[in-house]
Amino acid sequence: MKTKLLSLALALASTLALPAKNIELLNVSYDPTRELYTEFNAAFSKHWQAKSGDTVTVKQSHGGSGKQSRAVIDGLQADVVTLALAGDIDPLSEVGKLLPATWQSRLPNNSSPYTSTIVFLVRKGNTKAIRDWDDLVKPGVSIITPNPKTSGGARWNYLAAWEFAKRKYGSDEKAQEFVGKLFKNVPVLDSGARGSTTTFVQRGVGDVLLAWENEAFLALKEFGSDKFEIVTPSLSILAEPPVTVVDKVVKKKGTAEVAKAYLEYLYSEEGQDIAGKNFYRPTSEKAAAKYASQFAKVQLFTISEGFGSWANAQKAHFADGAIFDQIYLKK
Amino acid sequence: MATHTTTITTRALTGAIALLSPLLVPIHAHAQNAKDADVAALRAQIAELDQKLRVLERKNEIKDEEAAAKAPTTPKVTASDKGFSIASPDGAYTFKLRGLLQADSRWFLNDGGQTSNDAFVLRRARPILEGTVGLAEFLFVPEFGGSTTSIQDASVNFVFDKSLQLKAGKFKSPVGLEQLQSDASAFFIERSIVTNLVPNRDLGVQLGGDLFDERVSYAVGVFNGLADGGNSTNADFDDEKSVAARVFVQPFRNSPDSVLQGLGFGLAGSFGNQESRSGLTGGYRSDGQQNFFVYRPVNTAAGAANSNIIADGDSVRVSPQAYYYNGSFGLLAEYVQSSTDVRDAGTGANANRRATIDSRGWQIAAGYVLTGEDSTFKGVTPAQPFNWANGTWGAFEVVARVARVDIDDKAFPIFANRATSASSAKTVGGGINWYLSRNLRITADYAHTEFDGTTSAILKNGEDAILTRFQVAF
Repeated sequence: MKTKLLSLALALASTLALPAKNIELLNVSYDPTRELYTEFNAAFSKHWQAKSGDTVTVKQSHGGSGKQSRAVIDGLQADVVTLALAGDIDPLSEVGKLLPATWQSRLPNNSSPYTSTIVFLVRKGNTKAIRDWDDLVKPGVSIITPNPKTSGGARWNYLAAWEFAKRKYGSDEKAQEFVGKLFKNVPVLDSGARGSTTTFVQRGVGDVLLAWENEAFLALKEFGSDKFEIVTPSLSILAEPPVTVVDKVVKKKGTAEVAKAYLEYLYSEEGQDIAGKNFYRPTSEKAAAKYASQFAKVQLFTISEGFGSWANAQKAHFADGAIFDQIYLKK
Repeated sequence: MATHTTTITTRALTGAIALLSPLLVPIHAHAQNAKDADVAALRAQIAELDQKLRVLERKNEIKDEEAAAKAPTTPKVTASDKGFSIASPDGAYTFKLRGLLQADSRWFLNDGGQTSNDAFVLRRARPILEGTVGLAEFLFVPEFGGSTTSIQDASVNFVFDKSLQLKAGKFKSPVGLEQLQSDASAFFIERSIVTNLVPNRDLGVQLGGDLFDERVSYAVGVFNGLADGGNSTNADFDDEKSVAARVFVQPFRNSPDSVLQGLGFGLAGSFGNQESRSGLTGGYRSDGQQNFFVYRPVNTAAGAANSNIIADGDSVRVSPQAYYYNGSFGLLAEYVQSSTDVRDAGTGANANRRATIDSRGWQIAAGYVLTGEDSTFKGVTPAQPFNWANGTWGAFEVVARVARVDIDDKAFPIFANRATSASSAKTVGGGINWYLSRNLRITADYAHTEFDGTTSAILKNGEDAILTRFQVAF
């Protein structure tokens, strides 16, 4: 009798059990992460379904990192942002009041699950003999880079060039002169890194593309190493693209738990492996070792070493009326 | 000898070439190098031009991409013959400014020497503010024409679906066909005398919508309730309410090949209860806007003459109605029967006398667009707007109308006075409409009205009115 009652109770309980949910997340990211997140989202959905029974669909939005940041502040309902630099996430806290100022300390490695750097992509044969930053400012060299006002990648490009010149020529004045010359050789500014890749690779404009390392590898993979080659400069910047949950949005949508798990999964073995496979430099030792051979050895400096912080770099170089505006308007 | 000479010459030439050839080779090589250099220079120039062209093309492409990306976030601002509007990119939030201005004149022939009728009149001067806020549409129309400023329309319409809409505020009561037609689009300058028998704009809540691919429209609402021809003053003077409803069918609306596509017919009516003088009409008006029927005014004199006619009881209207439009031809017809329970609430000889005053009326109006454009319930749009320089003249329409209103004889003499009112009015009228553009219209109408059942010399004389209108509507 007891067994019957228990069975009946269980049967009733099972009918009352909550049904599996369909959850939708929006990941607002920067330009070159399309392929990375397409693969990662599929892996996470599978992982989450196995863990919770719920179905997660992650929608992606890509564009220039600065532009994407503004879109989220203006109301784009991003559950998570995975942008090119911390300087594009800070305004979500400062201006948009969408997340706490301490957002970067919530996940390991300053919330950067993978890193990258800036390299040069040139046409096969490298007819302009581009080997290092110095070669970019020579007359007749046509450089493709996106607009630092809208693109995170472009800001990494700019700061890498600045630091190279500062170290080589000894002052900020010389660095400004150098970067000014560099931008004189830029015939067209796209709003994002993917647009610049299109300009260089598909439209055939320019001699060299200043690119995210992963983007350069992707171009080689997609368009062939018989058409392009990667040149690694003597010095480059350690790009640390950060990720965070957008607290105010997930609270409203009730997606906080899955959004947090989504980002944490980037640090998992599978997440790190997918990052390495997509030419990002993994932060886990295991995946870093696995993919080490595909990346050239290059001397890297961090944003703190070169500029103190992203806030400093932003204010001095990319704010309205700051150095980039002075350089580019002069052009 | 000749052969020998030739041989010597040939030998000499051969020898000279042999001697010069070491000198000629460098000259040839130099020319070749110069040619190669030119080709290389040309190639470089072409490559440079090619890059410039590619840069220009890419810049244009980026510009287009940026414009396309911007489009979904850029509000749309439009200015057209339909008004001026601003809309959010998804169209969920819109604001539109329209307007209606009618500058009229009225001229009365054979008016028995009356000196105060002929006049220029600012008939309507209305800014029309409308828009959408999510699923709700709003309309706000103040009126600056006439002698007072008032709110004509102020309504919000929740559009849950085309077939299910909930409207609240002040708007046209769903009874009279011509009354429901836009002020700017009617055949004539003034609506027919039968419109005296239906309510105008009332305050209330209405459920309505379109069904069966817009072949059937319905509306049913609860309103404060109005007297015949009444327009709400935004207040109600009794607790009673009225229900008004209308069903209108256009069975062939979606059959473009049918000659009956423009046929519509329906039935409308209202039922309510009124308990005050505001439930009585303020006056039935002729085409020239002269009163031809009013209830007796309140008389506070002591004794038998003391009277105060009020509405007290049911107020019922029924109106079968139809229109038919086919090409340039349009026809509109309606019949209205209106009955109002009245009582003398004074203390005079007729104190507490009651009656149900049944009035009825009908009209048939027709129009024909001489220039070939379509006649529609929403007016006429000229194929070619008036343009002096281009020699285009817009559209011309001729219109004609007959109408009649009969007032219940029971109204006389207790509730109305034959010295100031008539028991019937018959009107025959005609006119011409010149549509200079979709927005501009000049109209001239003539109407002859005969009044019966009256002792008023003026009314007995009839009315011959010429009305003109200059109208801008956008």
